[in-house]
Amino acid sequence: MPAWLVLTVLALSAASCVDAPFSERQQAERVLQRSRWGTSSVYTPARTGLADAARTHFGLRADPVQPFAYSHRVHLAQEMACVDCHQGVESGPRAGLPGMNTCMTCHAAIATEKPLVQTMAKMQAEGRDFAWARVYDYAREAHVRFEHAPHIRAKVECSTCHGDMRQQDVATRVVDMDMAFCVNCHTQKQASNDCLTCHY
Amino acid sequence: MAHRWGMVVDLDKCTGCEACVTACHAENNIPTAGATEAGRGRAMHWLRVERYWEGDFPDVKVKFKPVMCQHCDNAPCEAVCPTYASHQTDEGLNAQVYNRCIGTRYCANACSYNVRFFNFFNPQWEKPLQLQLNPDVSVREVGVMEKCTFCVQRIKSGKSAAKADGRELKDGDIQPACVQSCPAGAIIFGDLNDHESRAARLTHSPRGTKLLEDEGTEPKVTYLQRQSWNEPDTQ
Ligand code: SF4
Ligand code: SF4
Repeated sequence: MPAWLVLTVLALSAASCVDAPFSERQQAERVLQRSRWGTSSVYTPARTGLADAARTHFGLRADPVQPFAYSHRVHLAQEMACVDCHQGVESGPRAGLPGMNTCMTCHAAIATEKPLVQTMAKMQAEGRDFAWARVYDYAREAHVRFEHAPHIRAKVECSTCHGDMRQQDVATRVVDMDMAFCVNCHTQKQASNDCLTCHY
Repeated sequence: MAHRWGMVVDLDKCTGCEACVTACHAENNIPTAGATEAGRGRAMHWLRVERYWEGDFPDVKVKFKPVMCQHCDNAPCEAVCPTYASHQTDEGLNAQVYNRCIGTRYCANACSYNVRFFNFFNPQWEKPLQLQLNPDVSVREVGVMEKCTFCVQRIKSGKSAAKADGRELKDGDIQPACVQSCPAGAIIFGDLNDHESRAARLTHSPRGTKLLEDEGTEPKVTYLQRQSWNEPDTQ
């Protein structure tokens, strides 16, 4: 192999190892890219096989299936705030998904003629609830323990990590929450980047 | 000032009931190895109660000693880790980062207290026991080391709850699982940098000793016991 080729390959591979901080525009582009799962190039023996490792590497995961096509766009257009339904977000680790009673707080009086709302009223009377599917998640072997509340206190907008929900009907994964995404923001906001901040 | 977490174990109070061991397993998703693997030295207990007999039957006295990671200030496990998986945090915790760990097991060999455990298998829980796993703690996979974390998840949530209520963290707000479950109140946890905290005061008790102190590991766990216990055969 000629020496220049070896050098080029070495230089290229070295360059690809350096995780240069992203400019704001690049960060924004990353947010807009549709990703299906927090991609991960981490290989651990915890994966059941090569197929499993490949799936995680390329971020392939089936989209969550929700009980019905709830539209974030429609509700946010009514000047609702995220925290109206995701009520745990300011106080605890989990933002929480709304139960039937939360929905019916408004829908006992609003849009009662719609068949879906009538079904919900019936479900509530029978004491039944929705089984929402989780949209964002981390691979188990990422060992990430995420807490919402400290991020809200640090004035991170919901859209930073979840995209602009006013544009989305059913929630989809629009942000690739890989480690660079988290670490960049932690660096900018001078939050701790010690491993134990998130991994335990 | 940054916190500096430490622990005190009062051996005069410990009855050897092992409630702390059970609580530690439940809190931290620690798998049980089973008899065969335990026989091969693959049992995992972040916290164990050591038992020492003194004297000859029937004049015997038994001493119990709960031993967990001592969160050494000068930790031998940290110096030998090639990937910085084992490192000291700003708050004095000896952290074990599972993502970084490549399973060399140098740390387990370097640790003087035999409190580090290697995952020889992917842990499994028979159904429906998987439902009792604590969501605030990782389930560690095959090939990584693990050990007592001083229940870092509880430290985090304690601090977070105090911030959410807009108040200062008080002594006793944070209780690791072993501390909370000890019926005798023998284990005390707290901030050693807060000189008013119970743990900080007891650390300086004349009854206090540290395990293998002369090795220079500078543990952050202090053991309290009547000094007569240290004397050879007082019978
Ligand atoms: S007790 Fe062992 S594992 Fe814990 S810090 Fe000390 S050397 Fe490391
Ligand atoms: S502090 Fe937590 S992890 Fe450590 S021995 Fe106690 S219960 Fe186990």
